[in-house]
Amino acid sequence: MNLKNIIPIKEGFTLKSLFEYEKTPLNNFVAVTTISLVLLFFMGVITYLMHGHHAYNVTREHPWGLLIGMYVFFVVSSTGLCIISSFGHVFNIKEFKIIGKRAIAGAIIAILSGFAVIAFEIGHPVTMMIYNVLSPGLTSAIWWMGTLYGLYLTLIIFEFILLQKNDHKWGWYFSLGGLVIGVIAHSNLGSVFGFLIARPISNGVFYPVYFILSAMITGSYLIFLLYGFRYKMNFPPEVTAMLTKLAKVLGLLLAILIFFEAWKFLTAIYGGKPEKADVALHILGGANFWIGEFLLGMLIPFIIVIYSKGKAIHTLVWASITGMVGIFFMRYDLVHDTQLFPMQTLKIREYQLAPTWIEYFPSFAEIAISIGAIGIAIAMYYVASKAFELDHR
Amino acid sequence: MARYGMVLDYKNCINCKACEVACKEENGVLLGADAHRIWVGVDEIKGEYPLLDIVSSTFMPSQCQHCDNAPCEEVCPTHATYYDDNGVVRVDIDKCILCSYCMNACPYDARYVDSRTMTVDKCNFCSDTRLSNGEVTTACQATCPTKVRIFGDLDDPDSEISEILRTREHFTLKPHLGTKPKLFYVM
Ligand code: SF4
Ligand code: SF4
Ligand code: SF4
Repeated sequence: MNLKNIIPIKEGFTLKSLFEYEKTPLNNFVAVTTISLVLLFFMGVITYLMHGHHAYNVTREHPWGLLIGMYVFFVVSSTGLCIISSFGHVFNIKEFKIIGKRAIAGAIIAILSGFAVIAFEIGHPVTMMIYNVLSPGLTSAIWWMGTLYGLYLTLIIFEFILLQKNDHKWGWYFSLGGLVIGVIAHSNLGSVFGFLIARPISNGVFYPVYFILSAMITGSYLIFLLYGFRYKMNFPPEVTAMLTKLAKVLGLLLAILIFFEAWKFLTAIYGGKPEKADVALHILGGANFWIGEFLLGMLIPFIIVIYSKGKAIHTLVWASITGMVGIFFMRYDLVHDTQLFPMQTLKIREYQLAPTWIEYFPSFAEIAISIGAIGIAIAMYYVASKAFELDHR
Repeated sequence: MARYGMVLDYKNCINCKACEVACKEENGVLLGADAHRIWVGVDEIKGEYPLLDIVSSTFMPSQCQHCDNAPCEEVCPTHATYYDDNGVVRVDIDKCILCSYCMNACPYDARYVDSRTMTVDKCNFCSDTRLSNGEVTTACQATCPTKVRIFGDLDDPDSEISEILRTREHFTLKPHLGTKPKLFYVM
């Protein structure tokens, strides 16, 4: 059985063709950056293999670090792309029909990159595969996360193959399945944090809902970036129509997100509940939230959409870069903020240490694996765009 | 089968930390793992001289609460954390994948990573070293000079711990979370 029978690969795709690309300054820049990031990833992995978990700056007080944040970043990207592509593919909105292949390829790549990161965070990944099956913890959101994302990945791979084969009947069923399971899996990921009764700042309904909303925003930013790069800003009319529509959707989503965040903080602070109000105020006192999340991730793209009435799609491609940086801060902060409050039950002032906010800064290995994984994602995307037809006909 | 719990007559605690030493010796806790498996918290005297609030100065010994409704057990993806037949919350190191979810989920900061096995560990009421050999005391309890700790079967109406809980006022930590701790502080 030939691979080409299963999935149509582009004519003329060989390993050698991977090294042939149009040598423009932008392409060269992307190539060099990607290779550097991939090398960085492997440096991080080697450091991890040499020192194990000791290579990370996670502690008893702050057991989850940057790698968890980065994993969430990638899987949010994946679900986001899947949801946005479903506009066309599942819900038959005309303008979005053209993005299916590229978006689903991106979704597969994003989730694989997320798995590449989490594999080095989970202390015993092999044990995980064995005992997830042999003694499943059905009350555990992490068990569901692994299971649902595994299923989601399978479904979107089938969806991609069927899209490539232009089998729209079966493709529709798989995209609907991928969408439903993807949304459930992703919302469940929010519940990993939402279920933490020990952490009042994260406990509750907010994260499971916010995850879906912010996934759609991430998906929109990524579509802008993927298409901006694909057409080098010279968009054909159908792409212009799609991006203009997407810009309006993005504006609405951002408005909802800003509204959500405002109420999250107001309800957290109102009444001064311990471990919630103080943590919320502490978060609001930091640059991570105001500059990282709010300015880059929400405000700049929002203002561009509002002022141009969604027409400034070129500017929005650039704004999507700040948007993605903002999204990264949202993921990192989500993990860090959850663990900010010192959980020293009755240990307060113990050993003459006054209680402080829990500090954390990632180690070299954590930074290398996390940032390097972006290179892994770009490299996979490059191979996919060489091997498969991602454009609409 | 028993349902083990512990009473802490915390006002008798003199902060000698013999329990910490005994636990570390008994369970092979690594040096430097301060406050990891068992600890004595210190509430210093509040107020300014001469208006010192003498009663505010207390020592609060603590450890894993062996919750009857344990968040750490609920979140564990592989059942590495489980209730044993004695109601003791235990960790099976062969199944622990070090996802650290339990460390984030425990409201009592009771869990830590054992850097030899790279799995999560915590107080297990000395199940491996004592209860499994038929003993009915824990190391921290046996060593305590002022008898702060009373360990026993909550299901046995004749046990000392049941008697104390019937006759003395007591509280548990963070009861509003619904974790139903089996560590009781008597007043
Ligand atoms: S105190 Fe923490 S570690 Fe112990 S049983 Fe309760 S939740 Fe689990
Ligand atoms: S770290 Fe180990 S014991 Fe804790 S939840 Fe994960 S698998 Fe279970
Ligand atoms: S019961 Fe045993 S394991 Fe638990 S704190 Fe006491 S000595 Fe340590």
